[in-house]
Parts: sequence; structure tokens; C-alpha cells
Amino acid sequence: MPIKEVSFFHLFGFFVIVCCSVSCTNDDQPVIPDFDRSAMLENYANNLIMPAYEQLFTKTQDLKNTWELFLAAPDLTGLENTQDAWEAAYLAWQAANAYNFGPAEEVGLNKSLVEEIGVFPVDAAGIENYLSQGATDLNNADRDTRGFLAIEYLLFRSTNDVLLNELQATDRQNYLTAIIDHLNDKLEAVVNAWPAFKNEFIENNGTSVGTSTSVLYNEFIRSYETIKNFKVGLPAGKQAGQTGPEPDLVESRYAHISLQTLKAHLQTIDAIYYGKGLNGEGIGLHEYLQNVVGGPELITSLEIQWANVQAALANVPTDRNFFELVEEEDASISALHTELQKHTRFFKSDMSSLLGLAITFSSNDGD
Amino acid sequence: MHGRLAQWLKFLKTPVPVAPLITFRIIFGLLMAFSTLRFWWLGWIEDHFINTHFTFKYFGFEWVQLLPPEAMYALHGLMFIGAIGITLGLYYRWSALLFFLTFTYVELVDLTYYLNHYYFVSLVSLLLIVVPANCYFSLDVYFNPKIQSQQVPRWAIDIFKWQIGIVYIFAGIAKINTDWLIHALPLKIWLPPHSSLPLIGPVFNWEATAYLFSWFALFYDLFIVFFLVWKPTRLLAYLSVVLFHCLTGLLFPIGIFPLVMIGGTWIFFPESFHQKLLDKASNLFKRATFVPHKREDNQKVAVVKTPKYIAWILSIYFLIQLLLPWRYLLYPGNLFWTEEGYRYSWRVMLVEKAGTATFYVKDSRSGREGVVNNREFLREQQERLMAYQPDMILQFAHFLAEHYEREGVYQPQVRAEVYVTMNGRPSNLLIDPEVNLAAIKDSWRHKEWIIIAGREF
Repeated sequence: MPIKEVSFFHLFGFFVIVCCSVSCTNDDQPVIPDFDRSAMLENYANNLIMPAYEQLFTKTQDLKNTWELFLAAPDLTGLENTQDAWEAAYLAWQAANAYNFGPAEEVGLNKSLVEEIGVFPVDAAGIENYLSQGATDLNNADRDTRGFLAIEYLLFRSTNDVLLNELQATDRQNYLTAIIDHLNDKLEAVVNAWPAFKNEFIENNGTSVGTSTSVLYNEFIRSYETIKNFKVGLPAGKQAGQTGPEPDLVESRYAHISLQTLKAHLQTIDAIYYGKGLNGEGIGLHEYLQNVVGGPELITSLEIQWANVQAALANVPTDRNFFELVEEEDASISALHTELQKHTRFFKSDMSSLLGLAITFSSNDGD
Repeated sequence: MHGRLAQWLKFLKTPVPVAPLITFRIIFGLLMAFSTLRFWWLGWIEDHFINTHFTFKYFGFEWVQLLPPEAMYALHGLMFIGAIGITLGLYYRWSALLFFLTFTYVELVDLTYYLNHYYFVSLVSLLLIVVPANCYFSLDVYFNPKIQSQQVPRWAIDIFKWQIGIVYIFAGIAKINTDWLIHALPLKIWLPPHSSLPLIGPVFNWEATAYLFSWFALFYDLFIVFFLVWKPTRLLAYLSVVLFHCLTGLLFPIGIFPLVMIGGTWIFFPESFHQKLLDKASNLFKRATFVPHKREDNQKVAVVKTPKYIAWILSIYFLIQLLLPWRYLLYPGNLFWTEEGYRYSWRVMLVEKAGTATFYVKDSRSGREGVVNNREFLREQQERLMAYQPDMILQFAHFLAEHYEREGVYQPQVRAEVYVTMNGRPSNLLIDPEVNLAAIKDSWRHKEWIIIAGREF
């Protein structure tokens, strides 16, 4: 046999055989039951994301309506109704604020939805300044002078007697009308765009940067870290360089529903992880993890820590104002922050590594 | 013994046809020009180098600074000009030098973006500076026919074969480990996400595929160079180069590296192949003066001489190349876990790692300790890569100490709780979370604060 033929073909054949003999112990069984990412994305779109936005949009429309009723006949009941409508809308926002992508992402001069309507803390002086100028076109880059929490400021900043009085002034009324309309416009655009975007979202079922799973996962992490860093850590004075608590930085500074919003937000994180939506638990990241190498082990440790987070959250006194708890450096807040911090690695590096998802929104080379 | 060496040196100085080196020069130049434009076009200059607060330094190259945006763009502009100069063979040595310096500077700006294939590009462009790759089929020859030569000493071509050989063989040796061969990790993690690819997708969910790929990659890396050198196997070997790199290029975000290897390995083909290519190319130009002499005349043309210092420099260069990948043996613990002696060793796509690094800054007077929000200072990619590499963790800790001292924290102590998951295993502490990193100096010595005891791997 000529040397030529012994060489490469034989060696190639040899290692194909080696490979097979190593792997055929498992008889070509898929390690991994074929996980259908499209089905997961479909569950997210149909049962979590779209219902959350639709629900939210109904609530902000309610807010607009009650506000208009108040404008027609300003009285204490009207004010209270508007305040209630704001609270309902803002709690509904906690179910939608993790989906800051697709129709909600930054386009041109429009920032992402969270940056457009969810900025806190707000700039009270800035708001006062703009409303006294009658600047109802909102044509500026100060996004901390509009959105949910600017509305909160105007609706809750003082006692209802004072508010009832000051909300009779046209400049305040005009400004509030402008920012409530702005809120509704932004949401209407997103709600209307989702049905058309849905197919694209479900079909973009890969795992590289920019695919639906990767984008959803990254927003999930970002949302979780927002809770830990900005809703708890910063006001509680837990960040490096802080010398004490800064209660003015709590999320709901004026209506004092910070603990409720915190709970609602964490519930959304929970819902995303389990894929819990309209029809109960569907296919979510949890199911995805069950189907990858190392996934079951991760789920076990992740869920133990997640229970610790829930327990710490339940331990925060509900009969006290979150603002005051933070101010007094209550131990329950510290404990909650610690548990949230401990949980980070499970969601962030462990999960991304096992699922093969890059923790990034921008593309890059690796080697 | 001395005789052997002399014979070897004589062999390396034997004149051989220059054509393979010329094609190599042109392919490399074109790919680098393309790569520079691609980098620019994808917005990566901005992503990496603009509005960046902090850059991770290479040990010994701390002086390499991030430049203002205009300068970073200008560097890439010069890099492009250098690459074009290499391609055309115009002011060739200066172009190669320009490309080498600009490319390497950009790489040295931030350790975050270290990639083996960027290191490879730096090395190849360094080697290009010392070879007379402009002595044929170049604008330099067109303007100055006197420098023309159709022959070069053998080493001028072989150094590129050696360099490519080093890359492959060390990449192969690195794959000889339990995870890669026995557990097919990390491919068992990396392949299934590609199951949605059309046609071949479902195959990536099979365990067998991960094993097949692991073992194929091992044999490929270890032996491909020998099969490329040996004539009977060359064509088949080259086909597997194409197959291998197309596949890896399809599955992993490795940029233009597959093209560099698919084009670079042409250098293993015989002179006749390259000559035909160049003849065809010169026919395209229809400019006799561009390639003034026919092949038959080449006996008369003097071969470029090899200065002695070049021999010394190259010997030292290759000695370093051969030794550097083994330096990890001087450190205790599992290399993949500690990453001490990991870089510059062709450990390519070898392990799946990710970490979460939480830094705590403590005021030495008040005792108050706070958590750092890494994203305040780092870009996503910087944070991601720092979170499992001890030397980068230490650099960031030092940065934090300086930053918070300026912010008024009294003698800041910085510690870090770093959990790393490797090849899908549950995450573990990478470093001692109680150690004050601000008080530790980086060096080549083993980092005592890395936790290496009790690892199962």
C-alpha cells in the first residue's frame, strides 16, 4: 500500500473511531432534550410581556381619566381618586419595567422606555422650574422632570389640603396634563408595536448577542440589579463611598409605596425566572436551565438563595414607612440587601455561563 | 554538535523562491486592512476606547495609555495605511513597522481585549518587519527594480511556518486535559445553544457531537502542521483547515481569525502554486514593469543576505515562543482556575468561565463598608472578563482604592467576593474574600490569595 494512503485517511479514520467509542457509551442519546427556545419566547411574549404592557396601559389611561375628572371639578375625592389611579398604574409598571427592549428600546432621540418614564429620584426643583415656565412641550433632556415619578411628586408632595389648593393653579395643571399624556403616548406606542414585533421576537431564537433570549436575559439581569443597587442599596447607604443612608433616594419618595413597588418588582423577577404568566407557570428560564449541563445543580442552589431573598423581603416590617426604615438603618433592610447581593451570581454569571448567553448588549470577538 | 548547528544554519540560509512569502504578505495585508475597517465599522473603536473610565494594563506596559478619541481613530487610520502598505509592498518595512506599532499599541491599551489571535497578529507583523517580503511583486520593486530578488533565504519563509506551527501545536497540547477529552467540556455547554441553526442545528444537541468535536480539535491542532508540511497529505490537510475554521467561525464569535488561518496556511503550499497565483495576478495588471523579470532570470539575482544579528534575534524570539507556554508549571494549582501563566500560550476556546465579583470598600477610620457598583466604572465586557481573572481583579481593586480615597474614604481597604463557575460546575470562591487587595502588589509571583485548595479539578 503506498504511503500516501496510509497517512491521513487512516489517522482520520482512527480518531473518528476513538471519538465514537468514547461517545457511543451513551448511544447517541441527546444529552440535552431538545429545548425549544421559541416556545419559551412565545410564553414570554403571550403570557408575560404583552399582558403586562396592556394591563399597564389600561391603568395609565385610568390615571388620565381620573385626572381629567379632577380638572373638570377639583375636589378632595377627585384628588384621592387620581392618587389611587397613580398607585395602581405605578404598581402595574413594576410588572413591565423589565421588558425594556424591542418596541421599548432606544430609537434616535427617544431613550428606552425605562429612561423615558421610570427615572428616579426626580428633580423636584427642575419640575418646579419647568412648570413655572409653562414648558409643557417637554422638549428637553431632563428625563427626571417627567415620567411616573414626576407625576408622583406633583400628586403627593404635600398634604392633600395643600395639594388640592395648589393643583388649582393652571401651570401645575398644564404640566401634570402634559406629563400624564407623555406617559400614555409612550406606552401606547409600545403596546401597539408589540403584536407586530411578536413574531420577530419568537423567531429570533438563537443565543448570540442581539437574539431575543439574550436580550430578554440581559434586561432581566439589569432589572434585578436595579432593585439591588438603586431601590435598596443606594437609599440604605450600602454603596461604597456613602457615609450613611440617603432615604431621599428611595423609589417612591412622596407616595411612600416603596415597599409595595419593591415587592411587585421582585415578583416580576420571580415570574420571569419561572415563566409565570397569565396561564400560570409556563416555559421560562427555569425550564431552560433544567435542560442544560449543570443546570439542575444550579437550580437547587439558586432556589435556596431565592427563598432567602423572599424571607428577607417578608421580614421588612409592613407597618413602617420604608423611608423611615432606611433612615434608621433598620436591620431588615441590611439583611435584604445582603441576600440580594448573595443571589446575584446565580442569576448573573452562573446562569449566563450555563445557558451560553453573553452578558452584553454589544457584539465582540472572543477566542 | 557544532557541525550540526552550522549545517542547520546553512540550510536556513539556502536561497529558495520567494513566491510563498509574497502571497503570505498580500493575504495578511489585505486581511488586516479588512479587519481594521471591520473594527471601525462595527463601532468597536467607540465601544472599547471612548468614554472608558478605566483600562486594565498589561504587566510591564502600564505606560500605554488610552488616548483621546481622535487619536484612537487616528491610530486605526494609520493601522489601515500600514496594512495597505504591507499588501502593496510600498515602503514595505516602514509599513510593517507602522502596522506592528499601531496594532500592538491598540492591543496594549486594555488587557480586557486580549485575544490569542490579536497576539498572533502582533507577532506575525513583527516577523514581517525582518523579512524582505517586498523584493518581488511589490511597488517598492516597481519604483526601485534594483531591490528585486526572486529568492530569499529559507528562514524568511520558514519562520511563518514555525509560528503557525507553534500556535496549532500548543493549542493542541492545551486540549490534553480531563475536561476536554473525557467530559467533552466546554463543548457540551457551547454546542447546544446552536441547535437552532438551519439544517445542522439538531446535531449540536447530541452528546456525541461534543465528543467528536473535542477529539477532532485535539488531533487537528496537534498534527495539522505536519500534514501540511508533508506533500502527500497536504491537500487533504488543507481541506480540513478550511473545514475546521469555517466550522469554528460559524459557531463562535472569533472574528476574522478563521480567515487568517485559512489564508495564512497557504504558506505551506509549494512555490509553483504561489508562482502561478502571482503570474495570474500580474497578468491582471498587464504591467511588465511591475514584475520586471521572468522566472528564468532568477539565477542571476542576488539573494538577500542574512545579517548575523537577525539570526540572534530570531533565535531568542523562538526560544521565548517555545518556553512561554510552559511557565504555568512554575505556579501551583490548576491553571484553568488560577489563570497564572495563561496568556500568550495559545490556549484558545478552552474553558467556559464566568464570575460575579463584588467589591467592598471599607473606611479604615469609620469602619463603614460599602458595595461597589462595578458598572459605574467598567464596561460590560470589562466587568465580565475581570470577574474571573485574578490579576484584573487586583488592578480594579487598586483603582477603587485610589478612587474612593479621592472621594474622601479614609485609607480604603478593598476586598472582593468573587464567585466563578468553570465548565458548568457550581460556582466557588476564587480568591480569599477577607484579603485587603489594596495592600497587595502585583508581580510574577504566585498570588497567595487565590483559593486553590480542595478543587476537584
